[in-house]
Amino acid sequence: MRRRERLIVAAAVLAFVGFWEAMARLGRLDAGVAPAPSTVLTALKALLGRPEVLQSLGVTAWEVVAAFLLAVPVGLFLGFLLAEVPLLSALFRPLVNFLFGVPKSIFLPVFILVFGVSIPQKIAFGVFTTIFVLIVGGTAAVQSVPRELILVSRVYGASRGQIIREIYLPAMAPILLESIRLGMVFNITAVLLCEIYGARDGIGYRIAAWGENVQMPQLYAALVIVALAAVAVNEVLRAVERRLAAWRERS
Amino acid sequence: MTRPLVAIRGVSQHFGTDGARVPALESIDLDIPDGQFAAVVGPSGCGKSTLLSLIAGLRLPSSGAVLCDGEPVTGPMPRKVGMIFQEANLLPWLSAIDNVAFPLKLRHVAKAERLDAARRMLDLTGLRGFEDRLPHQLSGGMKQRVAIARGLVQNPAVLLMDEPFASLDEQTRMVLGDELLRIWSETRKTVLFVTHSLNEAVYLADRVLVLSARPGRLVDDIRVDLPRPRSFAMTSEERFGTLKDRIWQHIKHAERR
Repeated sequence: MRRRERLIVAAAVLAFVGFWEAMARLGRLDAGVAPAPSTVLTALKALLGRPEVLQSLGVTAWEVVAAFLLAVPVGLFLGFLLAEVPLLSALFRPLVNFLFGVPKSIFLPVFILVFGVSIPQKIAFGVFTTIFVLIVGGTAAVQSVPRELILVSRVYGASRGQIIREIYLPAMAPILLESIRLGMVFNITAVLLCEIYGARDGIGYRIAAWGENVQMPQLYAALVIVALAAVAVNEVLRAVERRLAAWRERS
Repeated sequence: MTRPLVAIRGVSQHFGTDGARVPALESIDLDIPDGQFAAVVGPSGCGKSTLLSLIAGLRLPSSGAVLCDGEPVTGPMPRKVGMIFQEANLLPWLSAIDNVAFPLKLRHVAKAERLDAARRMLDLTGLRGFEDRLPHQLSGGMKQRVAIARGLVQNPAVLLMDEPFASLDEQTRMVLGDELLRIWSETRKTVLFVTHSLNEAVYLADRVLVLSARPGRLVDDIRVDLPRPRSFAMTSEERFGTLKDRIWQHIKHAERR
């Protein structure tokens, strides 16, 4: 059944691309807006052979990874603190909830003012955007731990360390992994937004430039690269999530 | 009679600080001999569960002392006490057998040894063949069987049961009651069984302890002189009714106050 579903999806995608290709070749699509998939593919191959494009991809990847590595531990730690320390929760919970709901893009000019148009600015903005997801997720993860299970482990003589290892960690894992995955989605979006808004390098910078110069095949090729990379990251994190959260009831 | 396995000496328990002190239990004195099946009943909020958590060492009494197997209770005593709650409270990410083995894992017992012990307990509670199921793949009654197996896996002297069948449907409850009596007759644990059901108390226990409304005091201590093994037919006998009625008089009185 699953295999059949996959085949159907693959067939639908192929049909769509084929239809697009046919329409473009028949001249029914404006090549300035929607070039043929084969043209995009040619551009994609050419792009991947250009060192400066690879360098841009590297810059973006570095910014994304650095922001992620900073935001995840710091955000989760702050989330745990908010969950466990009532005073901090009373002080900062309203602020976090407020900022969580505000579109982070409006702060982008402030980041440029403080950091200049630079790689640290991209990383800082990535962290700023991502960290709220992880704070809220970290708090929710702690609160999702069933109190009764802690009680049971105490009856059976669990130490504090054992309660953390045997109860907290596995109970929190699904929500933690989900927040990490969501955070990564926000993080990639934030870094690309930064690059498109103003940068000296990075794939977002290239996309903005190709867009301004109406280099549509290059633009679409870059979109394909970014989309594939984002989906790959997302799927890897989802696979980890599925493995560690198999005990959750399937809905 | 054998020496008391659980001894409760002048135990009072209140919650809150001096300003707003809520008494929960007052001057309880009680001896439970080794191997006895004692039921604890009383009106809602009389401190039945509090009494169990004192014996489990989950909290310390405001005054008085609790002794378990001759030793003062100052904290949880996992090797002496097994506890079963209203909900099975299984770890949802562990299979049935790993849940049963969990108390042994906390004590760093080698894996093969603890799985062996857990398998024996699952056999005892009638769950052979369900070792690898996750909790969400088990029915309510089966989950509670796993919880009982977990409670027994360290071969504790005392089994504390806090309304263990209260969330189950009536038929499952009756089947599990009989199962519990079979397990008890095979293992001869000392059982303290908190329940809201007078039927359950009289049917299962050697002795029914009746607590008054808050603050809980021991108002009656009834010996259930029905022969063992118990059978469903006994529940319609006169003696069964007389015992139940005696308990009901206390509860009725308390609930009206």
